Amino acid sequence: MNSKRSFVLRGGHVIDDVTGFNRVADVHVEDGKIAFVGSRAVDPATEVINVSGNYVSAGWVDIHVHAYGTLGFSNPDTIGVHQGVTSFVDAGGPGIGVLDQFMDLRDRLETTLYAGAFIRPMGLLGLNFIEGNVRTLGNVPITQWVDFAKQNKDMLRYIKCNAMGDYGPGTLRLTKGLAEILGLPLYMHIGEFQLQNPEHLLAPEAFKIAEAGDMITHLYHGNLGQVIDENGKVLKVVREAQKRGVLFDLGFGGYNFSWDVAEKAFAQGLIPHTISSDLQQFNVVRPVMSLANVMGAMLKLGMSLPDVVARVTSTAAQAISIRDRAGTLEAGKPADITVFKVEDGEFLMLDCYTKTRVANRRVVPILTFKAGKRFEANMTLGQDESNWFLQIAEDHVPSAAQVLSSGQREFLSALVEALGPATWDLSSAERLDIERALELQDLFHATRIKQDLSLHEALEALYACFLDNQFTMQVGLLLVRLEPDFVKSRFREVAGARPLAA
Amino acid sequence: MSEQSWSQLPGVSAETNKFPARSSIAGEGIIVFKTKTGYRGVQRACPHMKATMMAGELTANDTMVRCPLHVFTFRLSDGRGVNCPGFEIKVYEVKEEGGQLYGRSANELSLTPGAR
Ligand code: FES
Repeated sequence: MNSKRSFVLRGGHVIDDVTGFNRVADVHVEDGKIAFVGSRAVDPATEVINVSGNYVSAGWVDIHVHAYGTLGFSNPDTIGVHQGVTSFVDAGGPGIGVLDQFMDLRDRLETTLYAGAFIRPMGLLGLNFIEGNVRTLGNVPITQWVDFAKQNKDMLRYIKCNAMGDYGPGTLRLTKGLAEILGLPLYMHIGEFQLQNPEHLLAPEAFKIAEAGDMITHLYHGNLGQVIDENGKVLKVVREAQKRGVLFDLGFGGYNFSWDVAEKAFAQGLIPHTISSDLQQFNVVRPVMSLANVMGAMLKLGMSLPDVVARVTSTAAQAISIRDRAGTLEAGKPADITVFKVEDGEFLMLDCYTKTRVANRRVVPILTFKAGKRFEANMTLGQDESNWFLQIAEDHVPSAAQVLSSGQREFLSALVEALGPATWDLSSAERLDIERALELQDLFHATRIKQDLSLHEALEALYACFLDNQFTMQVGLLLVRLEPDFVKSRFREVAGARPLAA
Repeated sequence: MSEQSWSQLPGVSAETNKFPARSSIAGEGIIVFKTKTGYRGVQRACPHMKATMMAGELTANDTMVRCPLHVFTFRLSDGRGVNCPGFEIKVYEVKEEGGQLYGRSANELSLTPGAR
């Protein structure tokens, strides 16, 4: 076994509500698993890492991030193991039509990535105005969903939909039905931050449709469809939902956290069951930055540190049914561990509505261990523009295209041929030709299968044509966003180029 | 391409010591940015949720501007949203003559192929 994955974390303050620890104790790790927490003799050959002055908890679980697709990151590990998070769930990035592409991303990450799949086959579109449009739902292929869930039981953690839009609660009921068929929780976004008709508010419907174990995210958002009324009182439907066992998730996000709402609801005892970040391209610079920052905001609101830690470890793991492998430092569990400190000082904390509060503590990750593998915390990696700013290389061929294999270049030629005279209209904010996007994606798959190219290699070839930085994007969505002639000429150009060196 | 007329921008000049600065064209509010290569104007309110572009930041070597509120980012050349497909901001050419700034719409001039 890997001896590097055996070590002792000495002298840290361990917080773990499952085992009841809230005191200084050593954490013994053997072969990437938690062996023991407490004092006992250490083999002199075993590495001892001094973490005194810091806290030690189970690796954090963020049940709401965006890693894949149009809201995701070039390197999602930057908001994962590099920031204290050892497991995260992509909240809606993939749908059934792109879960295969999603798994290709999952396979190259250090952080364990789960899918909170979206009911729409393409997953989240990130095209804003059309998120609530029922026309983008396309078909809901139940057979495909059932087969996929059977083969990948472990990966799907919930089914997501957005409680927004002008078409009534039908989408929510459809999604609830799909979730029931698959035996998964329903996970709903509340808050209408786009330009929906206030008369069509769907949040109240979401509160009614959700059942025990279902989750509602953006608890403290300040848009239309809040959990409090105009007098600041928590709504009766929200209380009833809570009583039924519906779980409310924080989902801080770029639009979804208001200090005003948070303070009012918190004072009445409406507290997020799970603390999640909703990190994505659009909010990593501000106001979210990291799950640690969001945890700091919860301390400021009045939660105790052990309480905050529980809501990103055991409670979060329980909500998405991964308590058998995450969320605690129990002996025998994978050594997913976060070492962090709580700094005193004066820290300005932003919400999503340009309101600020001054906090006197903040949470700072120091080290992360994923199954015993060590990562130094780096809170700036994720902020780098190249990590979140997805740009299409219009005026040049990305350098990655130069190292494509001959098989990959042949695939691109075959794709141009398969496309033939095909054309499509560029999507706009109001209107996305979802059928066309799916057709283009089918053509991509049919061609790679004919060319006997793996999905990974085919995706690599496609992305290399258009992206300087490695982002993932739904194949159909990527193509339908680009002008047909540009796509074909770029494919030809890359396919025809000779590789730099063998 | 028809030559549109330039109009003098009120409230700003080459002497203005702080950019971005507010001005207007034909009654519409604009924000004038000083870039590495000259000046450029954009509509005052972000097309997403109307945050003021006074707080906008130049990025990508001064070729784009990004809204502070949700980081929607627009090309200064033609106003297209680069990370928010379907969104577009109005952009204006701005030139200096004898210390005065003059502007005219630039959206019609865009001929860039490719993404949108
Ligand atoms: S208001 Fe400008 S990005 Fe949202």
